[in-house]
Amino acid sequence: MSDRDTASINRNRAVDVALKAYIVLGYAFVFAPIAASFVFSLNSDRFPSIPLGEFSLEWYKAVASDPLVWQGLRNTLFVGVTVGVIATALGFGAAYTDYRYKFFGKQVYLALALIPPTIPVVILGLAMLAYLSRISLSGNALSVIIAHVVICAPFAMAIIRLRLSQMDPDLEAAAWNLGASEWAAMRHVIVPFTMPAILGALFITMAVSFDEFAIAWFVSGLNETLPVKVLGFLQGQVSPRINAIGTFVFVTSMTLVILAQILLTGRGAQIRPSADE
Amino acid sequence: MRRPLTLYGLTFSLPLLIWQLLFFVFPLVFLVALSFWTVKNFRMQPDFDTVNWVTIYGRSVFWQAYGTTLAMAAFASALVSILAFPCAYAIAFKLSDNARRWAVFLMVIPFFTSYLVRVYSWQIFLSDAGIINVMLGWIGLGPYGLLNTVGATMIGYLTLTFPLVVLLQLFSLVFIDRTLIEAAHNLRCGRLRTVFEVIVPSARVGLVIAALFAFILCFGDFVSPIYLGGGDPTTLSILITDTTKSGQQWPRAAVIALTMIGTLLVVAFAAVRFAYKGRTK
Amino acid sequence: MKNDTLVSFEGVVKRFGDFVAVKRMDFEIGKGEFLAIMGSSGCGKTTTLRMLAGLEAPSEGVIRLSGKPINDLPTWSRDTPMVWQSLALFPFLNVVENVEFALKMRAVGKAERRRRAEQWLDRMQISEFAGRNISQLSGGQRQRVALARSLVVEPEILLLDEPLSALDAALKVRMQSVLKNLQRETGITFVYVTHSQSEAFSMADRVVIMSRGQIEQIGTPQEIYRTPRTRFVADFLGSSNVFTGTVTASDGGGVMLDTPAGPLRLTSGERLAAAPGRSATLTVLDTRTNLALTAPGGPVNAIPVRMIGEEFIGATATIYLETGTGQEIRVQKSHEELAGIPLEIGQELFAWWAHADGHLVTEE
Repeated sequence: MSDRDTASINRNRAVDVALKAYIVLGYAFVFAPIAASFVFSLNSDRFPSIPLGEFSLEWYKAVASDPLVWQGLRNTLFVGVTVGVIATALGFGAAYTDYRYKFFGKQVYLALALIPPTIPVVILGLAMLAYLSRISLSGNALSVIIAHVVICAPFAMAIIRLRLSQMDPDLEAAAWNLGASEWAAMRHVIVPFTMPAILGALFITMAVSFDEFAIAWFVSGLNETLPVKVLGFLQGQVSPRINAIGTFVFVTSMTLVILAQILLTGRGAQIRPSADE
Repeated sequence: MRRPLTLYGLTFSLPLLIWQLLFFVFPLVFLVALSFWTVKNFRMQPDFDTVNWVTIYGRSVFWQAYGTTLAMAAFASALVSILAFPCAYAIAFKLSDNARRWAVFLMVIPFFTSYLVRVYSWQIFLSDAGIINVMLGWIGLGPYGLLNTVGATMIGYLTLTFPLVVLLQLFSLVFIDRTLIEAAHNLRCGRLRTVFEVIVPSARVGLVIAALFAFILCFGDFVSPIYLGGGDPTTLSILITDTTKSGQQWPRAAVIALTMIGTLLVVAFAAVRFAYKGRTK
Repeated sequence: MKNDTLVSFEGVVKRFGDFVAVKRMDFEIGKGEFLAIMGSSGCGKTTTLRMLAGLEAPSEGVIRLSGKPINDLPTWSRDTPMVWQSLALFPFLNVVENVEFALKMRAVGKAERRRRAEQWLDRMQISEFAGRNISQLSGGQRQRVALARSLVVEPEILLLDEPLSALDAALKVRMQSVLKNLQRETGITFVYVTHSQSEAFSMADRVVIMSRGQIEQIGTPQEIYRTPRTRFVADFLGSSNVFTGTVTASDGGGVMLDTPAGPLRLTSGERLAAAPGRSATLTVLDTRTNLALTAPGGPVNAIPVRMIGEEFIGATATIYLETGTGQEIRVQKSHEELAGIPLEIGQELFAWWAHADGHLVTEE
């Protein structure tokens, strides 16, 4: 009897170890391309492979000396910040609407607010380019901003809605009850409470916009953003410069995401009315 | 307090509604109109002509691409569901709370790295003189032509969908009542059987939705089929980009895009029906 | 009473879609009164309070505050502060900022509102926590912050929605006396919603008992306890044995009821006319119900019963018994009063009470 128990416990341990090894394998698959991109951005070889060539910053230098890249970077930053602000504002409004109101057609409203990211970017890009050129809005940064906001606003809404659902449902009514008008309660209660999520949404939508390229590829004419530039490299000649750009974009995006993460789970977010209940 | 929408309420609810109507719904509606336009002398003209539908649906290239895309997306979503499940299962049931939080955080990172850069990075691994072939060479094998194959496209699809599917599966698994599993063990249901008889049915909605998202992403993706698959076989997304580039054939591209949307709607509806089948909630 | 009325509900009805939350309410709340509204969950008591606060609009009827109709006044224009079940303290503000909130909304100057807030913190004995975050406070301290936050505007009326439900039993009793003293000292009208009989009866001057959107009874705790007006109230309080039957005789000598437990007589003074043939209900407090081995003589009702269980809480015992027809009867007595009676499961006994201790409930 005891022999069988030991055997079964050993077998369970073996299964556990195998499963944990599988987790490691899964993460290795996910991070292999990210890590390779980083490693080879610092490698001198024109055609990256192993063994590694010499440590080199030449691809960064090549990227930094390309005025088109700087132009693209400026556009990307401008678009990213603008998209972040608009998408967060729209997302906040929608999240608050969902939190506060019940109305006929709410399901449709929510579907409209949340569906865009599930439409393949090729189709969305095609539809938008055709439509925006029809209303003479294509070919500039504005068209990229419009398209990115459509994709990003749902993310902002989801993040802020999650924060609102952590709020004591009586909090807003308590403010009204203490003499705050709806606008005053918005300013003094809803906004302060959701502030971590608002900033988190701002950074995450900026990161998504920063990353998004396919729509920009279709929609943008002259004012190319950085990901469009990346695509240009790919379509032309393969160059390790893409690793340099990719690493730069990764570091920037991750900085934004980690900032958002700190805001969403940090001190500000932990103070909840029901902390000890 | 339930009240009719006031000026205050509309200030918050209308902006997004207007934005998504103007820049999401209208473009899609416009796409429908566009599909009936005609192209003459490389110029598009508003029209109501079914010629684009007839032309596209009459081409064997289109139906080949359609079949290929459908098959590849379906295969990829099945593959990623199977490969992701043990990972999600292990994260859900074999890690401490703290380790699980870290695992989730790490799985989110890929969403904020350019998919395109990751796909390019796979070229470093898969090319003829790439990392994998060099390593195979050390043990006297290869080189194999790994790039520009369906297998390479699948790796791209996995890169695109694996993190999302793991996360979605994980969220459905962590909400399973642990006592259900203990009850199953207590009733002498073995480990593996518990997985198939208790855990998978309990998490069915999440598992199906995860597979659905994988299907949607793969079905519309054009990066992996081009840069890892080498553009062969042709998928619908490649067909769209090719059609737009050649001779201003936007109306025909619109036909393909609308067919894709229609297909996705049918698949999504069927998947959701299947996910909630036999559930009262 | 008219001059002293602060709040009146006149034919107030509240519907949510097809669901009628409050059927029809007519009652008044006096100035300086401590009124408890009591009932089980879903009875409409919180809806009543929220209508008074202006958080729900009545579907019909008028609510007056100091004689003026307030139906159309939004909550932020009324001075009807509320203490919430969840307390609803603002987690992103510290203690003193929470207390200042209402003054800030009334555009009171910075120095003045700090002074008044600190006054109330002092009064609630939580001055030392002024700079703390809400999450750093204990349950009792939060309760005091919530009270100070609502009272800082020195209103005529304070609404309380089950504010003690999250506290442990000992703290609950302590806060009850804090609330009662506060109400007495300030003279502010308290309207206190609760499902707890002990809270309502220990603090309130008058109690409103609600069921399914209707008022079942309004009265002092004593009145309600001794003479429940409806069968629902008797059952809800759970402190009486209840017998329903048909009136067989009604004369100067009292009322005779034919019940499944046997014929019962009652002679209490304030009974209403009950015509023979009508259905009626008799209640008798479980503390007024006695036990004996043999049926006692005299002006008493005695029912043969069998003991089915017992429960001891401190110095009192509750004995559970069953009549021949399966009706449960409770007897609550001190141990001394039960001396000499064999208390074993299955023991055959007589439950009895004086005719004068019975009480006739007229409504079903």
